[in-house]
Amino acid sequence: MKTATRNTDTDLSRLLNRLTRGDNIDECLTCGICNSRCTWFDGPGGPIPRQIVRMAVLGLEDALVSSNMLWDCLVCNRCTQECPMGITMDLVVTRARGMAAADGQIPEDIKKGIKTRLELGDVNGLTKEEFVETVEWMSEEFSDEMEDPEALIPHDQAGCKFLYLPNPRELGINLMHLTAMAKLFYAMKETWTLSSHHTDVTNWGYFVGKDDVAKEMARMVVEPAEALGIETLVLSECGHGYHVLKCRVARLLGREPKFNVVSIPELCLSYAQKGILRFDPDVHPYEIAYHDPCNVARKSGGYDPPRQLLDMCCHGVKELVPNREDGVCCGGGGGILQDSTTTQKRMITGKPKADQMRATGLKHLATACLSCHRQLGELSTHFELGMKVDTVAALASESLVL
Amino acid sequence: MTPSFDNVLVLGGGVAGMAAARTLGDRNITVHLVEAADQLGGHAASWACMATDVCRHCGACLARDMAHQTALHPKISIHLNTTLDTLEKIGQGFDIRLTSGETIPAARIILATGFSPFAPDPSLLPGLHFTEHDKVITTTQLNQMLKDETLTDFLGTATPPEIAFIQCVGSRNRRLERDFCSQVCCKISLRHTRKLLHILPDAAITLFHLDLQTIGKETRCLAADLSLMIEMAQGIPAEILEDQDTGRLRLVTEDPGTRSRIARSFDLVVLSVGMSPSPELEKMASRLGITPNHWGFFNTKDASLADGIYAAGCAAGPKDILGSKQEGCIAAAKVLEDMGHKPEKQTDVLVWGDGAQAVTIARTLAKKGHRTICFNRNIPDTKAASGQEITFTDPGKILSVDGVAGHFTIRHETDGTKKTVTCKTIIAAPEPEFTTPAGQGTFSKAIDIDAFSRIPVDQLSDTSVILLDYTGPEYKAASRLALTSAMAAQNTGRQVTVVMHKMLVHGALGQQLYDQARKAGVKFLRVNTPGDIQIQPTKTGFSVTLDEATLPGIPITLLCSTLAIGVSPLPGPDFENTAGLLKQRLDREGFLQSANIRHRLTQSPRRGIYFAGTCHDEVDDTDLAAELNDIMAGIDFTGPVRDFGVEVNQKKCVQCLTCLRICPHNAIVLNEKSRPEIVAEACFGCHLCVANCPALAIASEQFSTDQVAALAGKGQVAVLACQRSAALAAGPLDLPGHIRLISVPCACRINQNLVLKTLLNGADKVIVTGCHEENCQSMDGTATAAAEVDRLLAIPGITPDKVSWHSVAANETRTFARILSDAKIS
Ligand code: SF4
Ligand code: SF4
Ligand code: SF4
Ligand code: SF4
Ligand code: SF4
Repeated sequence: MKTATRNTDTDLSRLLNRLTRGDNIDECLTCGICNSRCTWFDGPGGPIPRQIVRMAVLGLEDALVSSNMLWDCLVCNRCTQECPMGITMDLVVTRARGMAAADGQIPEDIKKGIKTRLELGDVNGLTKEEFVETVEWMSEEFSDEMEDPEALIPHDQAGCKFLYLPNPRELGINLMHLTAMAKLFYAMKETWTLSSHHTDVTNWGYFVGKDDVAKEMARMVVEPAEALGIETLVLSECGHGYHVLKCRVARLLGREPKFNVVSIPELCLSYAQKGILRFDPDVHPYEIAYHDPCNVARKSGGYDPPRQLLDMCCHGVKELVPNREDGVCCGGGGGILQDSTTTQKRMITGKPKADQMRATGLKHLATACLSCHRQLGELSTHFELGMKVDTVAALASESLVL
Repeated sequence: MTPSFDNVLVLGGGVAGMAAARTLGDRNITVHLVEAADQLGGHAASWACMATDVCRHCGACLARDMAHQTALHPKISIHLNTTLDTLEKIGQGFDIRLTSGETIPAARIILATGFSPFAPDPSLLPGLHFTEHDKVITTTQLNQMLKDETLTDFLGTATPPEIAFIQCVGSRNRRLERDFCSQVCCKISLRHTRKLLHILPDAAITLFHLDLQTIGKETRCLAADLSLMIEMAQGIPAEILEDQDTGRLRLVTEDPGTRSRIARSFDLVVLSVGMSPSPELEKMASRLGITPNHWGFFNTKDASLADGIYAAGCAAGPKDILGSKQEGCIAAAKVLEDMGHKPEKQTDVLVWGDGAQAVTIARTLAKKGHRTICFNRNIPDTKAASGQEITFTDPGKILSVDGVAGHFTIRHETDGTKKTVTCKTIIAAPEPEFTTPAGQGTFSKAIDIDAFSRIPVDQLSDTSVILLDYTGPEYKAASRLALTSAMAAQNTGRQVTVVMHKMLVHGALGQQLYDQARKAGVKFLRVNTPGDIQIQPTKTGFSVTLDEATLPGIPITLLCSTLAIGVSPLPGPDFENTAGLLKQRLDREGFLQSANIRHRLTQSPRRGIYFAGTCHDEVDDTDLAAELNDIMAGIDFTGPVRDFGVEVNQKKCVQCLTCLRICPHNAIVLNEKSRPEIVAEACFGCHLCVANCPALAIASEQFSTDQVAALAGKGQVAVLACQRSAALAAGPLDLPGHIRLISVPCACRINQNLVLKTLLNGADKVIVTGCHEENCQSMDGTATAAAEVDRLLAIPGITPDKVSWHSVAANETRTFARILSDAKIS
């Protein structure tokens, strides 16, 4: 019989037992509330959140590192949303993942992605030259499409109002999405730019719980943006990227960045409210369901802007049940989507979401995160839901009245 | 008009308010009892009776009885549908204006505004989807259904119904800023589950709890019984889902067997909601100049009351019905003292017990000016403080206790010499036995928790393990000691681990200590049973290996230099003898004092005999202090003696002494002529003596057999109803003319003669009704009446249709109506 020895003098307990609210896992009441709320629901496998916390409290690092729970957790915080002691699971899990002892468990794809991102600024390994080439080509296409030589996708321009930080998918397999975003900026009639110094909104340092990595990735975004002298950094629809750059950046860098941070749906909404952007709801003459990305909604409080924007671009928004604070993860959170070995597992983690989607009886679903977008699309296919999945900003772009 | 400042205003007509008002009224103080609702009784009066085959001691029916008595009290004026409007402080007192427009000068104010049940508002607890699922209800709603007898209809066709209880909803939750234990909800759920099983014997019930608070008289027995009948699961689900296909409710929980999450389906989910302060209090606080704590109560040091204002009952903090009643009496006594009312007479008190608690009790009473004798075999060598009359005596063998309140005579024998002690009041506090395996066998180097708590922190070893409820059920005083001493040790850099089945926090203070201890870094490990722990002595201490309940399959080893073991009290060796001498009953666990709510918390069916401390209930120092205040409130400010109009007619008496033997309150003594005599101070007016005197020598002014039997007219249905239970239940009903409700002082007034005479006088039927078993104020009235009815039914021609017996509590109006309708009375 293998027995674990209770040990409070471990890296993990030292990291976690700082006596601030939310971080101090020692305060766990063992109430079990989290167990009843894990987004895996009764799916096979997966984490038992209270066990994660208890292992951490008692310093059972080996048990925690060697269990499947650490990487099965989607870091969605659904479990601890109602924790009576204010403990947050993403902190516990990412800290645990970040221990040197857990290095062996980091999925290969994530390791590789982090390496590339740190070396090249883009998780998919897009080089600066490739970036410039791609963007300039797209810019030409864009002005042709808009029949306006002024309609451009600029890059590396100093002194613009906005800097758009895309998702790597927008410079890879989903170029159309970048064009759609360009159209929105064009309609706002503001100066904007991309930057070849940092092409990527993601921050996988957060997934692996390594503050040094997360900090470096954040720095790679913040410093060049500041050098460009922009006013506002506009984030592509990316849940964890949004959460890190909105809620964690100051803690990581030890200072606030010298610009504002908004997501593209938030920006569009404010321009619509100012009367500058106008949308035609009849472009999407249907009711649409909305999925709350955990990182945008529960973890960063961004519940309403995507819904409000969506409402302007479609015939009404239908809620998935449950939603908002209680929203169910798409099943792709916490780095699981970025690990190519998890395709099957993601159909287990995504089952509750698929059930919710089916229950709407609708044919359309939107979300405000490109990772969720991919996972939801796969769910629709796998579970034969026949639902078309879009991002909120893409729909907004389609509905634009120019 | 110069305000008469001998008035007291009591805000809130619940149990605490009524208890306070009556205590004051009995001392001739004019009391204004102000109640926002349209009747007295508060929440307790709306609670359903929890009796199954026997009373379950919830105390709810007391509220009805108290309301009835309060309404009749000449010194209490009741203002219903009324609250405080304005208030002005004048000198020592207050000038008060009520919403009714009345103005009242008052010397003091007692705040007894009670509580409101926590509402599981979806904005606070969205996961419960409380408003979305109609089969998710709160304990308050379940209570209403039990009261209305509508639960089976509500459940519909589900057979057998699967029911989940979720504890701690709105309690013990810092996120909701409600980080206190509401204290009562575990007991409520235990009684509710027991009641449900009584109504729906095949129901499958799961009780999801955080730490089940099994505390209070006979609660452990109830929990132990229930553990064989229902499933008790540690861990409280916070999300209720609905199965799309079946519409049943789903809860996801951890399955320790498979180490994964499983979904379980239920037909009904009951949320065991905690207590919030009453909204009325919130509105009044600023006018009264009082500052409740952030929970809205007065149970922590940061809350403050103003001069001349006292809090009692749940307004002060969550507590149960009997606790509220006790606090009402204590508040009233405090008011009396502060108003300068001197205790009428300093009483001679005998404190009976060998332990430290008895010494504390004796000292407390002496300090208050009572001449105190303490029967104590371990006489403490410290002298009484000057001005205190206190004697510690080794009684040797106690031979007998005779007499009644005010005149007890105790004979005892020390070293072959027989001695006699007289006293007015007896407080029984014999020492329980504290079991601990510390010092024996494997544990020869272990110490008990008391010893551990006494080790100065600088002498503590670096690592300690406390086994809290290893050798017996957890005991509140032991858990408090474990928490405080573990925290002290941890705060000086030692490492302490507490191994427990559950933490008995019970209340705000316990929860605070538990929270602080965890925050300080004390680790708490849970086990399901003591069998999950293996203990090995090592060279330097102990190795403790256990299957942790929250981490199934990962045995955890603790190495420690010090092993401390919690102690549990067991009935002491003296208990049976003490009970016999005092003519008192033991409870189901063998502790002193019956669980009967008519006399608890501290009293007994025998006036002048009280219980205090661990001999009768689970008390810590705070509870003991409250008990003593309660007892002193009773002996310092005795109420008027009631005349029940029962008297021995000495001419008829044949001196068989039946009455002396059977009086349940020991109110009959032999006078100097060796004839039985009823002592008014001790009599409860039950009429058992009247019903049983073979010479018919005991006269009753109002309830003689002939008088009662003549009350029902020809063809009428005579319903003989105990005035403390069934008659009160009948109160709100509009009875048809052919029903004759005859209120009797106790079911034991009934005998065969009385029933037969009633029938002979022309009554069509006789329905006898009284308390549930174990709820009778005179202890066995229920059994006596039921047995009499059984004997009657053995007489040819007397059929169950003619004569029947039913238990009806004061709060069972619906049951009473059903009995009438079942009797097919045309
Ligand atoms: S997957 Fe989400 S809900 Fe489950 S343990 Fe991880 S953070 Fe909690
Ligand atoms: S919900 Fe919070 S307090 Fe409760 S078991 Fe989970 S982590 Fe611990
Ligand atoms: S008889 Fe009274 S104390 Fe007993 S269970 Fe019923 S209501 Fe409670
Ligand atoms: S008594 Fe305490 S532990 Fe029990 S349900 Fe109420 S708050 Fe929770
Ligand atoms: S009425 Fe009851 S209490 Fe009074 S003397 Fe008779 S038997 Fe005793």
